[in-house]
Amino acid sequence: MNLRTLLDKTTAADRLFFLLLIILSLSGIFFIREILPESQTVLIDADGKPAYVLPLNEDKTVSVEGSEGKTIVEIRGKRVRIMDSPCRNKLCIRQGWVETGGVVCLPNKVVVTIRGHEENDRGVDAVTR
Amino acid sequence: MDTLVTITVVSRSSSDADEAIDKGFHEIERLEKAANFYSPDSEISQINTHAGISAIKVSSDILELLTKARYVSEKTDGAFDPTIGPVIALYDFHKKIKPDDAAIIKNLSLVNYHDMVINRDQSTVFLRKKGMLIDPGGIMKGYAAGRAAEVLKKHGIVSGIVAIAGDIRAYGLKPDGSPWRVGIRDPGAQEQDKVMATLELRDMSISTSGDYERFFILNGRRFHHLISPKTGYPAEECQSASIITTEGALSDAFATGIFILGPEKGMKVLEEIGLEGIIIDRKGSLHTTPGIRGRLELKNPA
Repeated sequence: MNLRTLLDKTTAADRLFFLLLIILSLSGIFFIREILPESQTVLIDADGKPAYVLPLNEDKTVSVEGSEGKTIVEIRGKRVRIMDSPCRNKLCIRQGWVETGGVVCLPNKVVVTIRGHEENDRGVDAVTR
Repeated sequence: MDTLVTITVVSRSSSDADEAIDKGFHEIERLEKAANFYSPDSEISQINTHAGISAIKVSSDILELLTKARYVSEKTDGAFDPTIGPVIALYDFHKKIKPDDAAIIKNLSLVNYHDMVINRDQSTVFLRKKGMLIDPGGIMKGYAAGRAAEVLKKHGIVSGIVAIAGDIRAYGLKPDGSPWRVGIRDPGAQEQDKVMATLELRDMSISTSGDYERFFILNGRRFHHLISPKTGYPAEECQSASIITTEGALSDAFATGIFILGPEKGMKVLEEIGLEGIIIDRKGSLHTTPGIRGRLELKNPA
């Protein structure tokens, strides 16, 4: 069966379906292009140990066990905050939403850091140009 | 020097660190004053205005600077030449002025480091022909970075990094015991801080010469500041050359000289003298000396 006979046998609905498939797969490329540059990650350390590595662009709420209890970290809209923590001063909660850098709850030993794109010049002390 | 200077030091006390950094900056300023091409009272200007007339007594700094410059000129067969001044002066990279061919040819006859007479016994420098000009731009920043690092050391700093624009001197180790890590700019990128590779540097200097530093585009051709002393026109075989040596002045001057020589001759010279270097040629291909291959961490392997 060659391509022409195959095409002759297709109905309008088949063709529409194929077109849909093509559009769907093409849009995948654009989707990935959109998402890939945003490959920032959120690192959550609790009590000196890494607890979570999460993408910054996925909304999620997690709970980690610090030295004094549970700290709740929320990721939403490419931002991070500490929602709740058993510390006395609540400084970490008051810091609110952050987009870069990180948030720390010192009393409960929870460190939340946003790590940028890997191709950024992290760890370089100087640039020769 | 209207360039960015950064000094980073490791010290137990922040007041010791501040004091040493202050001294380091002073050293750079002091050298810059002595070597400034544009200020009429600098030692370099004194030598230049007395070209063809008389020898000028200079400080040990300028004597050392020019002696090293001459060494690099000899090793690069004049591809680096500190007497390029009369040709460089014809170009204006701000106003995008490209001189006409006749003017270039006329001034090229004044470019020859053999006519720069250095008398070490009497600490004098003499330019044989009237109109000759020493332009220390290709060696000054590296030299100053190295000297500033010496000053930091003298003030008890065991580890530090001095960067004058892209001329970097790193010594000692960071508090975590690792060497300083230096990024090499991606010459193809628009952004100044886009890095194409990194390497660790300990008690060494690195300098880069690139066609993106000072340039203008005229009729589709890029005119940059790395002018060949042989032709009077920008050298065209490389996009950038980064050279690692034990001395800032040598890294800086060799970066210029090797850039102008091009990848083939340049690599040969580096291997003969035993220096390490990284060249990105016109097409974007990477050339490295054997000693650096394992140490270079490429950022975006294609």
